[in-house]
Amino acid sequence: MANHSDVIIIGGGIIGAASGYYLAQAGLKVRILDRGYLGSGSTGRCIGGIRQQFTSEGSIKLMMESVRLFGEMSEELGTDVHWHNGGYLFLAHDQQRKESFLQNIAIQRQAGLQDVRWIDAYECRQVAPGLDINGLLGGSYCPSDGQAYPFAVVNGYAQRIKQLGGQVSTFAEVSDVIRTGGRVKGVRTVQGQEFLADVVVNAAGPWAREVGALAGIDVPVEPERHEALITEGVEYLGAPMLVDYRSDGGYFQQFKHNGQFIGCYSPVPNVPGHSSDSTYQFLSEMPRRMLKLVPALAPVKVIRQWSGSYENTPDGNPILDRTPLDSFYVAAGMCGHGFMLGPAVGRRVARMITEGGTKPPLAEFALERDFSSKEAMK
Amino acid sequence: MSKSDEKIICRCEDVTEAEVLIAIEQGATTADEVKRLTRAGMGHCQGRTCRRLVNQLLAKKLGQKPEAQRPVTQRSPLQPISLKTLADS
Ligand SMILES: Cc1cc2nc3c(=O)[nH]c(=O)nc-3n(C[C@H](O)[C@H](O)[C@H](O)COP(=O)(O)OP(=O)(O)OC[C@H]3O[C@@H](n4cnc5c(N)ncnc54)[C@H](O)[C@@H]3O)c2cc1C
Ligand code: FES
Repeated sequence: MANHSDVIIIGGGIIGAASGYYLAQAGLKVRILDRGYLGSGSTGRCIGGIRQQFTSEGSIKLMMESVRLFGEMSEELGTDVHWHNGGYLFLAHDQQRKESFLQNIAIQRQAGLQDVRWIDAYECRQVAPGLDINGLLGGSYCPSDGQAYPFAVVNGYAQRIKQLGGQVSTFAEVSDVIRTGGRVKGVRTVQGQEFLADVVVNAAGPWAREVGALAGIDVPVEPERHEALITEGVEYLGAPMLVDYRSDGGYFQQFKHNGQFIGCYSPVPNVPGHSSDSTYQFLSEMPRRMLKLVPALAPVKVIRQWSGSYENTPDGNPILDRTPLDSFYVAAGMCGHGFMLGPAVGRRVARMITEGGTKPPLAEFALERDFSSKEAMK
Repeated sequence: MSKSDEKIICRCEDVTEAEVLIAIEQGATTADEVKRLTRAGMGHCQGRTCRRLVNQLLAKKLGQKPEAQRPVTQRSPLQPISLKTLADS
């Protein structure tokens, strides 16, 4: 049957693309459907940061695996994904933050992340040229964290999927999940096309709840708007991603491959709901926050701003599991870390589907769990 | 052939015609997709120079009528502005 695949993946962001790649590699016939182009959801709007500094053992280990996969990716996919291990530096301007970073470092080392360490303000200045260290106590620094270019990653996976006999349908919005007798059978699109499959994966990122609802499955993911901007390219300074958790802080880094600075911050209060609006407030506030940390960037020009969604779950951890509907899976709710988690999560999705069984790959990412604990390094 | 011998479509991001054609072969059907695959249009001028050329290539390769082409998403600021000027605004 022309329209039959082994697996249909709803969503062509990093999670759908990585999952599709590992499934195709395992010999399955895959079809990815996206209602826009590949990466048109959150993935193409993210700032490309990749870090292993988390606070739960599961996330740390998963991210160590992802970093290894990003390191091999350009060769594996046959396209330059611009992976660069430029590191991440989390800044501490007060004692309380320092204490919590020290505790986190102990947890991270325990989980096997060897190169994370506390560095004092002077060393921060050495690894991050131009950093204003006024009032800075130091930071949590992991040099093996890094960056990659989201569109190159998603497209690299998609090209491989096609080479392995899979299919990618863009501008195809799923409006119906076809079920018979408690089992998923396929999907129908807005355009009225039907695609059948033995397995369907909900990888719809910030829209995972809406897509879950099409199958009668509640997926507790809530979108939250985050804005970002990018500058023109200038000479690469070699600094890590800077993360400032203060209420007037933000995160930004410089891409090594083209010298552009890219950054965002988490607004207080948060902005719930689907929205891709940009604001003037962000366009002046983000530069203020960047210049507070690195004043020498003053003449660098901003060329573009945009926004996208974080896809939050109640406890800040992803959902990666089977669902009560037979052969319908969910891999979504990456809580603003989906780009970096993508490669490792994609492998877990493939393994969960090919190996069968009933348990979720990680208990802390189960669909039906107690959502009351929290990931601290959000 | 070195890159300098080839026809450049996007001067800001140094994207050649050959690279745009590969993106179209890989499935790009809109200037927005070409932009995300090749970076043509993501440069300093934000596509003011190259957008028309990309659309012409799409029209030629895929037989699209210009009036049927999806417009590229336009994002502010309309001109590059320094971090300092924005921070002071
Ligand atoms: C400003 C910003 C900065 C960020 N920075 C980082 C960062 O530095 N590092 C990091 O790891 N993460 C970052 N993130 C988070 C990251 O972008 C997301 O976690 C990640 O992209 C989620 O990937 P996904 O594949 O789950 O979702 P998406 O990329 O959103 O993919 C889901 C896809 O599903 C499609 N879809 C939805 N509904 C349907 C339907 N009915 N039918 C067909 N298709 C459908 C959508 O079009 C979309 O393309 C950032 C996010 C934002 C907004
Ligand atoms: S010529 Fe393409 S962005 Fe300027």
